Amino acid sequence: MKVKVNDVELDLEPGTSAIDAVFAAGYDVPYFCSQEYMSPIGACRMCLGKVGAPRKDRETNDWIRDAETGEPQIFYFPNLMATCTTAIMDGMVIDTLSKEVRQAQSGMMEFHLINHPLDCPVCDKGGACELQDRAYEYGAGTSRFEFDKRHQEKHHALSELITLDRERCIHCKRCVRYFEEVPGDEVLDFIERGGHTYIGTVDEGLPSYFTGNITDICPVGALLDATSRFRGRNWEYDHTRTVSLDDASGAAIMVDARTGRIERVKGARNTQVNLDWIDDSTRFGHEYVDAPDRLKTPLIRKGALLEPASWEEAAQFIASRLAVAGKRVGVAVRSDATLEEGVAAKALAEHLRGHAEHFPRPAASVIAENPATFTDVATSDAIFVVGDPTEEVPTLDLRIKDALRGVAPPELLAHGVPIADLRLKERMPRKRSILTVAAPYRTNLMRHAGQELIYPAGQEEDLFGGVGSGKAGASLAAEQLNQLKSALSDAKKPVIILGAFVLASAAATRAAEALAESVGAKVMKLGPMANSYGLEALEVTSDGGYADLLTQSDVLILSNLNPAQDVQIGERLRNLDLLIVHDSFETETTGLAHVVLPAKTGYEKEGTVVNLEGRFLNVYPAPVDSGTSEDFIGVVRTLGEALGVRLDGRSVRSARRSLAKTLNHDLAALPEEGLLAPVDAKEIGETVADTVAGNLLLTSSLLKVDRLRRNPKLRAAHGDVALRVNPADAEAQNLEAGANVTVNIGGVARSATIKITEDAPEGLMLLPATFDQALGLTSAEIVPAADLVSA
Amino acid sequence: MIELDTIKPYFEGKEDVLGEILGRYPDYGRRSAIMPLLWEVQRAERHVSEARLEEIAHIVGVHATEVKGVMSFYSTYHEQPVGKYHLQICSTLSCSLAGSDEMFDFISEETGLVNGETDGSGIFSLQKVECLGSCGTAPVLQVNDTYYERVTRSSCKELLDALRSGEMLEPPRERGGDNEGAEKPKIGSEQRVGREA
Ligand code: SF4
Ligand code: FES
Ligand code: FES
Repeated sequence: MKVKVNDVELDLEPGTSAIDAVFAAGYDVPYFCSQEYMSPIGACRMCLGKVGAPRKDRETNDWIRDAETGEPQIFYFPNLMATCTTAIMDGMVIDTLSKEVRQAQSGMMEFHLINHPLDCPVCDKGGACELQDRAYEYGAGTSRFEFDKRHQEKHHALSELITLDRERCIHCKRCVRYFEEVPGDEVLDFIERGGHTYIGTVDEGLPSYFTGNITDICPVGALLDATSRFRGRNWEYDHTRTVSLDDASGAAIMVDARTGRIERVKGARNTQVNLDWIDDSTRFGHEYVDAPDRLKTPLIRKGALLEPASWEEAAQFIASRLAVAGKRVGVAVRSDATLEEGVAAKALAEHLRGHAEHFPRPAASVIAENPATFTDVATSDAIFVVGDPTEEVPTLDLRIKDALRGVAPPELLAHGVPIADLRLKERMPRKRSILTVAAPYRTNLMRHAGQELIYPAGQEEDLFGGVGSGKAGASLAAEQLNQLKSALSDAKKPVIILGAFVLASAAATRAAEALAESVGAKVMKLGPMANSYGLEALEVTSDGGYADLLTQSDVLILSNLNPAQDVQIGERLRNLDLLIVHDSFETETTGLAHVVLPAKTGYEKEGTVVNLEGRFLNVYPAPVDSGTSEDFIGVVRTLGEALGVRLDGRSVRSARRSLAKTLNHDLAALPEEGLLAPVDAKEIGETVADTVAGNLLLTSSLLKVDRLRRNPKLRAAHGDVALRVNPADAEAQNLEAGANVTVNIGGVARSATIKITEDAPEGLMLLPATFDQALGLTSAEIVPAADLVSA
Repeated sequence: MIELDTIKPYFEGKEDVLGEILGRYPDYGRRSAIMPLLWEVQRAERHVSEARLEEIAHIVGVHATEVKGVMSFYSTYHEQPVGKYHLQICSTLSCSLAGSDEMFDFISEETGLVNGETDGSGIFSLQKVECLGSCGTAPVLQVNDTYYERVTRSSCKELLDALRSGEMLEPPRERGGDNEGAEKPKIGSEQRVGREA
């Protein structure tokens, strides 16, 4: 469709909005209420333009032409139009530059500022505020409003994490629409009306996992991240665009640091992955980085004590001990280590003739045969989820909800993501029927599903077998499973999503893949951590696995792992010839180590990770002061120097050179949306007998329990680690809501607070796992907490 | 809500009422029932408490915030019980020009109430509201569900006195339609509230 914006002629797809035509032409109009990925509603009236179009003569079906020039005559709308809610028409003419338009825009600006407090000097948004910028660009500079402004609450805590300044709000409705349209948790709304309207909630503490995004999209300083309030001005922050290493989605984030400290994390855009959205744990879960007990220098054991040392001293110490230690060496990194760190770990293990491994690593491969991308999920017409995506990979939760709206992700225009996607509407009907969610307990996502299947934990193989064969399985009726199978077979783009409980069993994964093949579905596997995919693809794996490494080594080099959380394993580690632990904080395992090396966190590393789609994404370091902390590359570099060898992976560059050989991609400076290059699927894994009995299910958790103690704000908002218990069980076992207990699982003692809820099925308690605990069924013993005052 | 545990849900045992209201809308439009449900509660209890709000949210399957958003949009719904006579003074443009501010001050002085208050004996509640849709007969005062149009200082005084003694005056009517046959007041025979001063 041909349109003309001022003097620029364009050819755009029908259905494009006039505001996007203006931006595509390289012009600008001010706007406040429209927001990428959300419905345009025409609320702020800032995006005014003079819009006209030619008309056809009904009789001749030809354009009505100007008598003099013979050109089609342009009929202008009688009023200026909000370009965000106007769709383009063939031959449309849009004027954004005339005096009339400019005057209207500056008039609207004046109107928006009538009750605005103009307290930019003390506002966190100052310097990065849409209202401020637009007032500067399009405002008149003066106001004729001579009366008292409306006064309202200026520090209203919507939750522990979000503060609302009601005076600054311009009622664009972005935040309200966001909650309804994106996570589907309508916990914020306009209260009252007319001049009295304010943003408010009666759902205390904003019960949603995705609340922080409203602070990114609020065009003014009304909604603010309470954790970073008054910490710095926008221009003082160092902005680092990187990738979150909190889960396997590879969501883009912006890390804002100032004087060596992370002050806040914001969502960044990856049009293929998280769009603009991140979950609250990713946003607010960075405080631990700056915890006072962060390890900042290497420590060497001198008798019972660990004493500070330099990296060179530590490396020399290790080299001399390696010379006399036993020969069986194990190197293990946590699964959020970068590919480059993986190369380093492999090179070190190889040099020492040992084995390299990563943990957590599920029994089954996390690389799928016929892999689905996030876009596949968002455009699917039948989704079968087995697991709990909200907790495992929160980004996926939102992308599944995209699919329920039935609107495919927008095509990019010359200026990027459309500002006003006219296909999106407020309160769109959701096609819940396309979503089936199965899990051993009631999950968050089930509220949005057409069909929920709760099956006994550990029976994933039966579940897939049942769906495949159409017979009853996993205590579910044949009819239900049959229905699901035909929904999947009849769909054009079916997707099956396999969560941690499936991947924990090779047999179940095999059954799932068989089902996927028979119905022609793509598969998405939710690996446990940010680079589970990459490390498996790189084969940082050993035959016996992590468990064997722990029991059958003389020398262990562990990065960010804490196996001694389990006292039984700790006893064994005590007898090692040499235990080197690379970590950011003291743990049970550093307590046993001969050498402790300070580790960089995920915000400080440079490298590459591969998300669950097989998308290679670059990770960039934010300027954080972490003493002499190093990533595993640094460990291998200094050790190599002490051992007199130049190992692959002694620097990011050398690791990438070695990766380029095996992967055929140059990993330096990948595009922002990453490089989608899934590797070939691997053998699924050995079938070992699955655990089928137990009273406790260790689950994934969006809130990282290992870090919760050092993330006080997140903890204040979401509470302590909860042990979820069914009401009947609680009564039978005499457990009281809110009571602090110790949960003994093998050699691991975990403290938790009892939460009584119907979400937990009878006979099964739910506890979020730590990084070092394998997910799935297990047996536990609950005892009252020894000291009620938790540390 | 703590209240919910201790008081009986409004719609408990009223399945027929509930079924009738919900039955008016298709399943995907269930949230449309918010308005009639609020009204049902409000009519019976003269206000909608937070517990009732939660109950309605639960019935319709939405968050309580959404019900609150709808409820607060309309001045017809109340969070607190209102007095026997709910005096609602239109304060939108037409009525404002015709003197509703002065009418408000007058009533406020007469009753000793400020906006949003109810008196101790529960007779009067005073509230400024937005356009009552009767702009042609401004200024408008709505008492419970009855409109009093083109209110003057003396007709207002007369009305308040009558209400104090428990009597609702028949509102004078001037137009056709519903009020066919009603006696027409002599327009202009009396000064409007706003024009005195
Ligand atoms: S709080 Fe911000 S996002 Fe929400 S309506 Fe007000 S200005 Fe818009
Ligand atoms: S009216 Fe707000 S962007 Fe168009
Ligand atoms: S302005 Fe008062 S009724 Fe419309």
